[in-house]
Amino acid sequence: MSDPFDTLAGWLSEHLLIPLLWQVGLMRWEDLAYGWALFATYGAMQVALMYAICLPLERFFPIERWPDHRVELTDMFYTVLARVGLLPLVTFVLFFRVQVAFSGWLTDHGYVPPTLERAIPGLLGHPILTFLAYALILDFADYWRHRLSHRFRWWYALHALHHAQRQMTFWSDDRNHLLDDLIAALWFGVIALGVGVPPLQFPLLVLVLRFLESLSHANTRLSFGWLGERLLISPRFHRVHHAARAAGKQSCNYGAVFPYWDMLFGTADFTTQYAPTGDPRAPEALASGGYLAQQWAGLQGFIQALAPPRRHLS
Amino acid sequence: MPRTMLFLTLFLLGAAAARAQGLAFVIDSAGAAVSVVDVGSEREIRRIPVLREPHHMALTPDHRFLLIGDTTGNELLFLDPRTGEILRRLTVSDPYQLQFSPDGKWLVVNGLARNQVDIFDAKDYHLVHRVALKSMPSHLNFSPDSSTVYITLQGTDRLAAIALGSGAVLWNTEVGETPAAVLWHQGRLLVAVMGGNGISVVDPATGVVRARIPTGRGAHNLFLSPDGKVIYVTNRVDGTLAVLDAQSLKVTREIRVPGGPDDLDFGPDGRLWISRRFAHSVAVLDPVSGHYDVIEVGRSPHGIWLNTHDHLPRALAGTAPPHS
Repeated sequence: MSDPFDTLAGWLSEHLLIPLLWQVGLMRWEDLAYGWALFATYGAMQVALMYAICLPLERFFPIERWPDHRVELTDMFYTVLARVGLLPLVTFVLFFRVQVAFSGWLTDHGYVPPTLERAIPGLLGHPILTFLAYALILDFADYWRHRLSHRFRWWYALHALHHAQRQMTFWSDDRNHLLDDLIAALWFGVIALGVGVPPLQFPLLVLVLRFLESLSHANTRLSFGWLGERLLISPRFHRVHHAARAAGKQSCNYGAVFPYWDMLFGTADFTTQYAPTGDPRAPEALASGGYLAQQWAGLQGFIQALAPPRRHLS
Repeated sequence: MPRTMLFLTLFLLGAAAARAQGLAFVIDSAGAAVSVVDVGSEREIRRIPVLREPHHMALTPDHRFLLIGDTTGNELLFLDPRTGEILRRLTVSDPYQLQFSPDGKWLVVNGLARNQVDIFDAKDYHLVHRVALKSMPSHLNFSPDSSTVYITLQGTDRLAAIALGSGAVLWNTEVGETPAAVLWHQGRLLVAVMGGNGISVVDPATGVVRARIPTGRGAHNLFLSPDGKVIYVTNRVDGTLAVLDAQSLKVTREIRVPGGPDDLDFGPDGRLWISRRFAHSVAVLDPVSGHYDVIEVGRSPHGIWLNTHDHLPRALAGTAPPHS
């Protein structure tokens, strides 16, 4: 019995992508077409799964009710862009050569990017265990990336786009400034040079992890209980991070999937309240503007934050 | 009870007979594994996990190891070709295509993502030359005297000749859009032009294209049959296998093999084992009738090799077509 995702990705490759690449003279990338088709197929499945599970939760157990849902449309656009593969495809095209050149240069100087299995030989032949080990390491790295993005004014000017949403829903997970996404890509690129990249043969596990991230943004009264909250990040736990009072430097609950790092570094807040979300200091365009308006406002804030402070003559 | 014993004996004998036919190794590039298929029963019997992204393999000249290149894992795996057991691991950067020279002295490994061709001493696997080539060195083949290796450069539409002894690039010429497989054949080089619709016939001394032969859209890989009479070309975009007369290079037949046909090996019964990149399966094709059986394997089958060649005397095995 074949995997339906593999079958669909294969069909997309054979009947759409490969003929298209041949037609436009880009067959040199044909080897990557299947990977992208698989990514897009699982991305579409992620969106469908989010919709099927999170929407009823938000409908029947909401924290807030809003008369107008138009601002969520922009968040939906961010999600499709990020999950179905357009954004990763653009990122790949832009950075593939840089990455190849850099890793090639490192290899020429005797440094072959490592893998976790080489450092811990016991993991060899246990790909699922290896995947979970990588998931923990990358979640740890993401905790610090996220925490630092609140620490520096110029970085938070970009990240404020993510926090500005007052009508936070499961669609809000991917609303990020492009430069913030770029920094994240560079961040994980550097991490990959240190510990390697995880095996990617388990797209279902990736799907589950990404679903948990989306769920954590859902507008629903959902807690995993005392123990569950300490094992996986729930919508209630992550909402505390998005609370209006927690925007900026003095935030908490930075974790994405696992709460362990917040517990370990003293930033966990297991309060049981469901506070309103948003960033009161962020420009209004970041909260309610369209996609381009949000990107532009984020860029302006970033440039202003980088500019030296004005001196007042008295 | 005697009846049970009889069934058990027959079952065990049957299983042993199936095993006696040998194993097919099918690399699953997107699944980070190698599917092991029982040739007799035409069923996948297990998967060997590897690090990240394997693509191709080559049998060592002494037939002791089957080498599998794991590109993003930066590793060469040494498998027992009889059982599939991993016996050794060697750190090698970006091993995409790999092949031993006909005299068994050299192992050439193409680093497609890193634009490099590594030439190893096949005795101890120490790196003798690293040749930087732009861009995307993909497939390779050798001159019969093992003096030269020919490399297709997928990213720049070129074919390069490298002297194995010195590592010097002898020539580097344009041969067609996105060249894939290259095969030395009767004093000429045949190059599958994947961005086009056929093969280029190239002068091995100068790299000049002498002729172009249409075979189908997305010509990807080339194989000389064991009897030397025909050449098979897998056409990735059209989903066909073109059959060429090895002497005249004329297309004599076209067989439909949908699902992105890629690599090929020859079964003990004369059927062709073809990996289908987009159909998570292998087609076992009877070249006479055009009928094929389908064997389900991992999600992205790429390199394929059957250990049924293993019993061949070394000289004969040396003339077998490249497994690329």
